[in-house]
Amino acid sequence: MKDTREHQLSSAADENQDNADRLRRELSAEIDRLRRLSTRGILALALFLVVSIFAWWGFVVLPGPETVTAFLGKPPPARVISIALLLYTFSAIILSLSRMTTGLEHRSSFSHVGFLTGFFLFYYFGNCLEENYWAVFGSGITILGVESYRIWSYCSENISRKKEDMEFVARTGRPPPQE
Amino acid sequence: MFATLAGKALIPVGLAVTGFMVVCCLILFSVISEDLHHGEIVYATNLADTVLKSTRYAMHKSDRETLATIIRNVGEQKGVDHVRIFNKKGVVTFSAKPGEINRQVDKNTEGCIVCHKGAVPVTNMGNMQQARTFKNPDGMDVIAITAPIYNAPDCSSAACHVHRPEQKVLGTLDIGLSRVERDRSLAMLRLQMIVFTVMSLILTIGGVTALLRRNVFLPVQRLRAYVESSAGLIDPPQPPPHLPHDLDVIASGYYKAKMDAYDRKNCAISVSESSEVHVG
Repeated sequence: MKDTREHQLSSAADENQDNADRLRRELSAEIDRLRRLSTRGILALALFLVVSIFAWWGFVVLPGPETVTAFLGKPPPARVISIALLLYTFSAIILSLSRMTTGLEHRSSFSHVGFLTGFFLFYYFGNCLEENYWAVFGSGITILGVESYRIWSYCSENISRKKEDMEFVARTGRPPPQE
Repeated sequence: MFATLAGKALIPVGLAVTGFMVVCCLILFSVISEDLHHGEIVYATNLADTVLKSTRYAMHKSDRETLATIIRNVGEQKGVDHVRIFNKKGVVTFSAKPGEINRQVDKNTEGCIVCHKGAVPVTNMGNMQQARTFKNPDGMDVIAITAPIYNAPDCSSAACHVHRPEQKVLGTLDIGLSRVERDRSLAMLRLQMIVFTVMSLILTIGGVTALLRRNVFLPVQRLRAYVESSAGLIDPPQPPPHLPHDLDVIASGYYKAKMDAYDRKNCAISVSESSEVHVG
């Protein structure tokens, strides 16, 4: 009878230990994932800078605007592209600040690089990239800067929370209390 | 800096506001610059039309002296870089600068190549396509308009010097205007926009900082000082007055909890004292 009781206790302790190890592994994996995610904004910013360098050189690898417009038709006027850029910048900043407020995990940085490249290309095909280069560049730095900060602050906040959870698991062997 | 409450509040706001204002200013600058360029072209085209209409009668009469005087007078006007008339062969026949007369112009140079790209020169172009910008030998920015002098029935049938009716273009008027004033205006506009952006940025950051300091940071600091000062005390002091509502709730809750603990402790002491008396 006593042996059975001891056996039950030891198997419960082993199970607890296994659970704690599993939790620690999960938390550690989550911390690694958040660390990787925290560099996403900076990587998107770096990619945008590479695209901006290509734009600064006048997209030498692309066919000339005349060739493309002969195939696709007349591009929209520079003023229309500028209005679209302004609206896009405003919406992107508002969206990013809203995500920051609600604490959402969203990986939108690289899509912004795509949109901004689109603006560079539209200006290029409209033969007005030189006059509007700095507007797209400024817009990109602002949007990706805010996004990088949002992702970085989200990740660092969650990493410190996960570290606290790990300490709790190490101390008690129980899963951390849910908020 | 990034971990503090001030940093967390100010960095995204500062970045978003500054960035958006810079983008707005850059787009506005580009639009104004485009408008000024458009206005310059319209002005230069009108001036070219005026010169052509003024010289038309002299051309009909083949009055070369009057024609030369008109061209010279227009060329002396402030802001005009050059005025010249080419004949069909590209030779300068009239110019405000006497040294240019009878000089052959290379059709492959900037401004000429636009029409002379193909085997047959283009004879009809929009105003915007006729305009070209370049730096003159003195290093000054110039915008130039090339206006074709078209053949008309009264030209081809005139008694003085008959042109063949099928000849479409008799020559071209080339007029160049200095862009110094436009560049000066844009430089002034750029400076004003930079000053405006910096001032707005200072106001935004300053305003947000002042409001945060007054409504958040200072009350939090007072609450923290209160909690730290009463941490070791059994009988805590009253919470600081005039805290914002949310912080006042926290401070009152803390005070109440401390007072409850104090009462429980007093109660426990009195119970233990009375039991000792009974035992005694």
